[in-house]
Amino acid sequence: MSKNNQGIAYDKALKKYSARKEVPAAEETLAPETLLKQFHPDYFPDSIINLKVGANKGEACHHQLAAMLQSDARIDESDLAGAPIIETDILVIGGGGAGCAAALMAAEAGARVTLATKLRLGDSNTVMAEGGIQASIEQGDTPQMHFEDTIKAGHHFSDKELVAEMVMDAPEVIRWLIQQGMQFDLDKYGDLLTRRAGGTSAARVVYYRDYTGLEMMRVLREAVLNSNIEILDYSPAVELLANESGHCAGAVLSSLKDCSYNLVRAKSVIVATGGIGRMHINQFPTSNHFGATADGLVLAYRLGAKLRDLDSFQYHPSGLSHPQHMAGHLITEGVRSAGAYMLNAHGERFVGELKTRDHVSSAILRECVEGRGITTPDGAIGVWLDTPGLELREPGMLAQRFPKLIELGKKSGINPLKVPPLIYPTLHYQNGGVVIDPNGLSSVKGLYCVGEVSGGIHGKNRIMGNALLEIISFGRRSGEHAAANCHGVKHKKISIEHLSDLRRELTQANMPMDLQGPLLFPECAKFENDSDYDGLHKNR
Amino acid sequence: MQKQDELLVNVTINGKEIAAPSSLSTIQALWHAGYPRVKSVGCLEGVCGSCRIMVRRKESNQVSMELGCQTLIEEGMQVNFLVFPTPTHHTYDLNTIKSSWEVQGRFHKIFPEAEHCRHCGGCNRSCPKGIEVERGVELASKGRFREAGELFIECVMCNFCMTACPETIAPNHVGLFSRRVTAYFHTRPGNLISRLETLRKGDLDVKK
Repeated sequence: MSKNNQGIAYDKALKKYSARKEVPAAEETLAPETLLKQFHPDYFPDSIINLKVGANKGEACHHQLAAMLQSDARIDESDLAGAPIIETDILVIGGGGAGCAAALMAAEAGARVTLATKLRLGDSNTVMAEGGIQASIEQGDTPQMHFEDTIKAGHHFSDKELVAEMVMDAPEVIRWLIQQGMQFDLDKYGDLLTRRAGGTSAARVVYYRDYTGLEMMRVLREAVLNSNIEILDYSPAVELLANESGHCAGAVLSSLKDCSYNLVRAKSVIVATGGIGRMHINQFPTSNHFGATADGLVLAYRLGAKLRDLDSFQYHPSGLSHPQHMAGHLITEGVRSAGAYMLNAHGERFVGELKTRDHVSSAILRECVEGRGITTPDGAIGVWLDTPGLELREPGMLAQRFPKLIELGKKSGINPLKVPPLIYPTLHYQNGGVVIDPNGLSSVKGLYCVGEVSGGIHGKNRIMGNALLEIISFGRRSGEHAAANCHGVKHKKISIEHLSDLRRELTQANMPMDLQGPLLFPECAKFENDSDYDGLHKNR
Repeated sequence: MQKQDELLVNVTINGKEIAAPSSLSTIQALWHAGYPRVKSVGCLEGVCGSCRIMVRRKESNQVSMELGCQTLIEEGMQVNFLVFPTPTHHTYDLNTIKSSWEVQGRFHKIFPEAEHCRHCGGCNRSCPKGIEVERGVELASKGRFREAGELFIECVMCNFCMTACPETIAPNHVGLFSRRVTAYFHTRPGNLISRLETLRKGDLDVKK
């Protein structure tokens, strides 16, 4: 953010600002591709390097993620001596929406399911999702249109087969969620209300206020707690286990409660660990959960899984920029979908507010770089999200539809009905991930990867509402498939022998071995292997 | 982005005396002082309910229940992180409730304590989201599940009310039950059903 400058000071810009009913639309002269290449963080110079080891050797990857993918393991054989072994059919790693959906489906099909989660069940990005979930249900909308919008917004990098399966699943996904007890916003006849996502051709996002993820997660968590799924909380996976032929056969869990290791032997493993926001790619603030540190990508890569699109990340246009202690907090795209404009320091609109997220974020960064941003005394910068203008046009709507925004206003001391929030792009989503098939299976036998950890669906840019759809669609698919295929599987020997190969490769490639992965926790938490997880004692 | 000359405030967190900038939350202050806390840290946006704290402010004898990520430190503040309680003993499976006519009866079997509410108000006082918890329990006991559920829109399942309740009602789970049965039995959107029917007939597909 240091390159921004010469914006207009916050107090001065706020004095100049007044809520207006109508503001002329932006005239965009720059071609979209040029805008992205000049301003999108994916194109920052020197940020992308080639991987030196593993299934994606020679391919492009962001340097921060590359360091983690090519890091040394946290454990070796000696750590596992005497570690207890837990037996199960299916091990699910991750307690967010994808993990819960997978676990519920597998358990319903009769499999013995163990769900391990780094923190508590439900601690995930799912709970923080606001905008909604895509499903083509309105007249005049079709799965085909949903498919095409997804492909186009992803700049034609998506795996078409995965997208086709997902958009056809969408209405059934909503039905399944309702049957788990999830509520949606309805009109007076009981029809699902829909709103339009940026970069799409129809109103297709169904939602519950701006609490869609919270509503989804509390319902799914309750469903899991009321099932016979065994839950191991505060147990991050630090390595996957393989059998003698390299099939995934379980995982090594680190129990934070007593600083010990447990082995889980499973017929197959479903990794649903989410994304990378807390690695703060390109030093951006993030909207992500505390635990989003790329764990699943690292574990799967070490076991030989093929990854894709590791140079592509999503920066959500409307992260809060001010006050500082709330930097990165999200304001849902739903607010722009409902009609809010974005204004620069001169009170001008500068981009179509409902273009795709990569386009809108790039335009905000351009305004800031070119001196039309608003700067705060503590060094933050951003543009206005013109919520007071929307309140003028549609009185009462913000309070009714966006309670989380109103709450955010109270916490930040900035009432969005009166004063426009200052926004700046926030690191939001990992577009790429583990290559999977329509059942969520990776290129490694016995290893499923679902949700944000997987790649291929969103190409190089995701649209609002496709993340919540993806986690349930592919979460359910993987759970069903894993349960149906676990009969008769028996792993004789389980080990972490693949780590010897990894270390040999790393040494041969002259890689520094000083970093250990997966990261598990963001740097700010100062967590080490033997740290007291209660935080009652400082590190030794 | 941090200001160099930011004012430090003195707080006590989990019995440790800490000086940290006033712009930090209680969790950030703990990290700032070098305590590697990861337990009870979650979304950091006030929606996961993990970071339960008890707070006493300077020259006050009131203790309040708050979320640690949402509470900025103040001079003289005393903070204690609370453990997350073990899951409630109330269990149920929505699929075993045959029809909406049976919900009220089943509710009292699943949550037998709910009608013994003493109206002590402990749940209301403990709620960091300001939910009328006690009224929600009362409405649910009367079978008014839709109304009860509406009160719990903002509930993040921090379980403070569960800890506070002397009758072990688990009020937040009563709220969630109320919401879930409302969707399970009464959410029947015409636009969704119609689309599912078209899909079932095979009238829509995707050309790649």
